[in-house]
Amino acid sequence: MARFLIRRLAFAIVLLICTSSAALFLTRLAPGDVTSQLGPAPPRAEIEAVRARFDLDRTPIVQWGRWVSRAVRLDFGDSFLYNRPVAPLVIQAAGNTALLAVSALVVSTILGITLGIFTGVRRTGWLSALVRGASVMFISVPPLLMSLVLVFIAAQTRWLPTGGKLSAGTVDPSWSVYTADVVWHLMLPTLALALPIAAAFERLQSQSMSEVVRQPFLIAAIARGVPRRDLVWRHAWPVSIRPICGVYGLVIGSLLSGSFIVEFVTAWPGIGRLMYEALRARDIYLVSACAAAGAGFLACGTLLGDLLLAAADPRVREDLDE
Amino acid sequence: MSRLSPRFSGVLITLSVLAVVGLLMRGCPSPDSSASPATTAPRRGGQLVASIRGVPRSFNRLLAVDQPTDMFAMLTQGWLVRLNRATFELEPWLAERWDSSPDGHTHTLHLRKGVTWSDGMPFTSADVLFTLQAIYDPRAESVVGSNLLPGGKPIQAAAPDASTVVLTYAAPSGIGIGLLDMFPILPAHKLESALKDGTFAKSWATGTPPDQIVGTGPFVLREFKPGERLVFDRNPRYWRRAPDGQQLPYLDRLVLQLIPEQNAELLALQGGTTDLTQSELRPDDYVPLRRAEEQGKVTFIELGVGPDADAFWFCMDPQAKKGDRRLGFVQKREFRQALSHAVDREEFAQTVFLGEAVPIWGPITPGNKPWFSPNLPRYPYDLTRARDLLKSIGLEDRNGNGVVETADGVEARFTVVTQRGIGYYERGVTVLREQAAKIGIALEPAPLEYPTMIQRLLSCQYDAIYMRPFSTQLDPAGNLDFWLSSGSTHLWNMGQKTPATEWESRIDTIMREQAATLDLNRRHELFNDAQRIFSENLPVLYFVAPRLYYAHSRRTTGVVPSVMRPPVLWNADSLGAAGP
Repeated sequence: MARFLIRRLAFAIVLLICTSSAALFLTRLAPGDVTSQLGPAPPRAEIEAVRARFDLDRTPIVQWGRWVSRAVRLDFGDSFLYNRPVAPLVIQAAGNTALLAVSALVVSTILGITLGIFTGVRRTGWLSALVRGASVMFISVPPLLMSLVLVFIAAQTRWLPTGGKLSAGTVDPSWSVYTADVVWHLMLPTLALALPIAAAFERLQSQSMSEVVRQPFLIAAIARGVPRRDLVWRHAWPVSIRPICGVYGLVIGSLLSGSFIVEFVTAWPGIGRLMYEALRARDIYLVSACAAAGAGFLACGTLLGDLLLAAADPRVREDLDE
Repeated sequence: MSRLSPRFSGVLITLSVLAVVGLLMRGCPSPDSSASPATTAPRRGGQLVASIRGVPRSFNRLLAVDQPTDMFAMLTQGWLVRLNRATFELEPWLAERWDSSPDGHTHTLHLRKGVTWSDGMPFTSADVLFTLQAIYDPRAESVVGSNLLPGGKPIQAAAPDASTVVLTYAAPSGIGIGLLDMFPILPAHKLESALKDGTFAKSWATGTPPDQIVGTGPFVLREFKPGERLVFDRNPRYWRRAPDGQQLPYLDRLVLQLIPEQNAELLALQGGTTDLTQSELRPDDYVPLRRAEEQGKVTFIELGVGPDADAFWFCMDPQAKKGDRRLGFVQKREFRQALSHAVDREEFAQTVFLGEAVPIWGPITPGNKPWFSPNLPRYPYDLTRARDLLKSIGLEDRNGNGVVETADGVEARFTVVTQRGIGYYERGVTVLREQAAKIGIALEPAPLEYPTMIQRLLSCQYDAIYMRPFSTQLDPAGNLDFWLSSGSTHLWNMGQKTPATEWESRIDTIMREQAATLDLNRRHELFNDAQRIFSENLPVLYFVAPRLYYAHSRRTTGVVPSVMRPPVLWNADSLGAAGP
C-alpha cells in the first residue's frame, strides 16, 4: 500500500507540473494578452510596463524558466486582475470548490444510491418509472442549463439565494451564523452540480442492483429467511456498489469540470470561476495556478476512488498491496 | 423482493411532500407593495447590495483605470470638483469655489473648511499638492498623468495656506477646472512616505488592510474578499449634507457583490438578492425586466440615449496594409459614404436594439447633450445613390457574382471582427452584412474573444471592426486621443507621425485650437467644424445610438440616473434603502 501511495504522489506531482506548464504555454500562445484589460488603446508605456512585469516581453521558454525558478520557492507569480500573489487567491478559491464538490458528492451519493437501490429492487411501478425518467432527464441536461434553470427558479420564487457565498447582511458573523448562511447559499450550486451525478449514480446502482438480486447467493439468502432489509443492505448492496466505486474517481474529476460553469452562473467563489475570469483576461499566472489546483483535485479524486474501490473489493485491495 | 418497495415508496412520497410543504411554507413572496418608489426621499439607515462584474485592481485610483477601481474611488475618495453625471454641470466638491484668471493659466481653489479624512486627520492643501506630485512622479507609475498635461506640461501647484491651492497651467485648457474631475485627492499623511521611498506604485494594493485605506468619500472599506465582495460602511466623518441638513450618506452600509455573469446578475436582481447592477441593461433584457417591473419585483427606468454608440471602421494604416490592394478604394471617402447610404438605420435600430435606438451620423450622440450637433451631413438610406458612389470610384459587379470589384478584379470583400458573446454586436454585424450585400460589398463576420480582438485592433490585423469604443469624457477636449491623428485611439490609423490625409490635418488644427480655447461658444463652433469634416469623410461609421435602460430594486430610493457609468452609484451618498 505504501508503494502504491508513493507512486500516486509522484504521479500527482508530475501531473501538477505538466498541467500548470501546459496552461502557461497555452495562455501565452493564445492570441492577445493581459494588456487587453488596459482598454482598447492604452499608452504604449503602460503596455510595456505590464508586459515587463509579467515577463511577456520574453520568449515563452524564458518566461516558463523564470516562472519555474520562482515556483520552486513557492512564488507562483502575481495576478494582474487582483494585483496580488496568486497563491492565496487560489488556496481560498480551492477551499470553496472543495466545499462545493464535497457537498455535491455527498448529496449525489445519498440521493443516487438510495434511488438506485429502489429502482433496482423494484423494476416496475409508476414511481420507479418516474425516477428513471427523471434520471435520464438530469443526465441529459448540461450543467450550464441546469444552473441557469435553478437560478431562474430561485429568482422567481425567492426560495433560495441566487448566488454568492454569504448574504449581504452577514458581516463579521458568529461561527454558527456564518455556517448557516454558507449552507443556505450552498444549496443551489450543490443541486446544480449534484443532480446530474445523482442521476448517473442512480442508473449505475439500479442496473447493478437488478443484476445482483438475481444472483444465486441472494436467492439462497431469501430461502434461509433473511429479513428483507438485511437482504438489501447487508447482502445485495455491498456487492452492487462496486461499479459506483469504480467511477468515483472520475466523478470527482467531473465534479470539478462541472463546477467550472456552475460556479460562474451561481457566483460561487471557487476555482472554476476564478479560472474562467483568469482565462478571459489572459491572466497567465492565475490560469497556471488554477490549472495546477484542478490537477491536484483530479489526482486526489482518482486516489480516493481507488481507495474506495479497494475497500469495497478485496481483489483490488490485493492488487494495491503488491 | 418487490414487497420491499411500498416502504421505499412511502418514504419517498413522505419526503417529497415534506419538501414541497416546506418550500410552500417559505412562501412565494408577493410583490412588495409597501416599498417606496425610487423618487421617495431617502431616510437614514439600512443597506443596499450592488452587483459588480469585476473587482478593483487597486485601491489606489492613480494606479489603475478599470471600472471597479473607479467605482471604489467614487465610494471612498473625494474630488476637488465633480462632474454631475445627470446635469453634466461641474459642481464644487472638496474645493467649494474657485477663481480663474482671464487668460486661463491660473486657477485659485478655495478648499472646503472642516473636512477631515475618515481617520480624523484634517484635509488640507498639502493633500492636493501631494496628489499632484504623485501623479507626475515617474516612479509612482500613475496612469492619470498622461491625461493631465495642459499645454503638454504638468500642472504647477502652490499652497499659500492650508485651505488655498493655486494651480498654474502651461497653456489655457478648454476643459479648465474640469480636468480636476479626473483624479481623487489622496491622503498625504498615509502615502507620502511611500512616494518618498519609491514604493507608491505598490501602495494600497488590494491586499491592504481596510483600516489603512483612508478617504474623504461617503464610505469606508470594511471588508474585501477577493472573488466575493466588498463591504463598505458609512463614513461618519463625511463632509456632505443633504439639503435638509442631514449628514450624508443615508446608507449605513453598501455591499458590492461580485457576479461576473450578466444573466446571473439580472436574476439576482429579480430574485431580491441585489438592489443595483453595475451597468445599464442589454437590449435583450428589456422585455423580461419590464415584465419583472409589472410583477412589482424591480423598478425599470430609462436613462436616456447613451453617449457612446457602436461603430464600424476599416483599418486604414498604410504600413499595416502594405500590399493590400483593397486599401486603394477603402481610403476613398466615396466608398465609406456608399456603405453609410446602404444602411437602413431604422431597420438597424429595430433589429439590433429592438427599436430602442436613434439614428446618428457621427461619434457624438444626442446623449452627449453639451456637444451634440444635429446639423451634420447625413446619409439617408438610398441604394441607388450608394451604387452610384461605388461606380464613381470604379467599383462595379463586373463578373456578376454579387460583389463589386475594381477594373483589375480586386473585390470589395472584408472580414469584420467583433467581440464574441455580445448579442447586439453579433446582430449588428449580421444586419450590416445583409445591408452591405445589397450594394455588392461582402462582409464576413468574425466574432473573437475580447483579448484577441484588442490585439488585432492595436496591431491593425483586421479588415474592419464593429464595436463600441467608450469615450473617457464628454468634453471633446478630453478625448483628443480619438480626434488627433497622433492619438492612441485614432481608431482607423493610430499614432500617425504626420497626418496621413489633408482632412485629418485640418481636424488636428481645429481640435488643438478647440482644446485651448476658453470661450465656450467658440469651442462649440470649432467642434462643430471638426464633426462636419469627420462626417464628410466617415473614417468611422456610426448608425444608431442605443437608448439606455436600467433596473433596480423597489427598495432603492434617491436614484438620480445617468447615461454615464456607473448609472446610479455615481451618486451613492444620496441613495437610501426603504424597508429591510
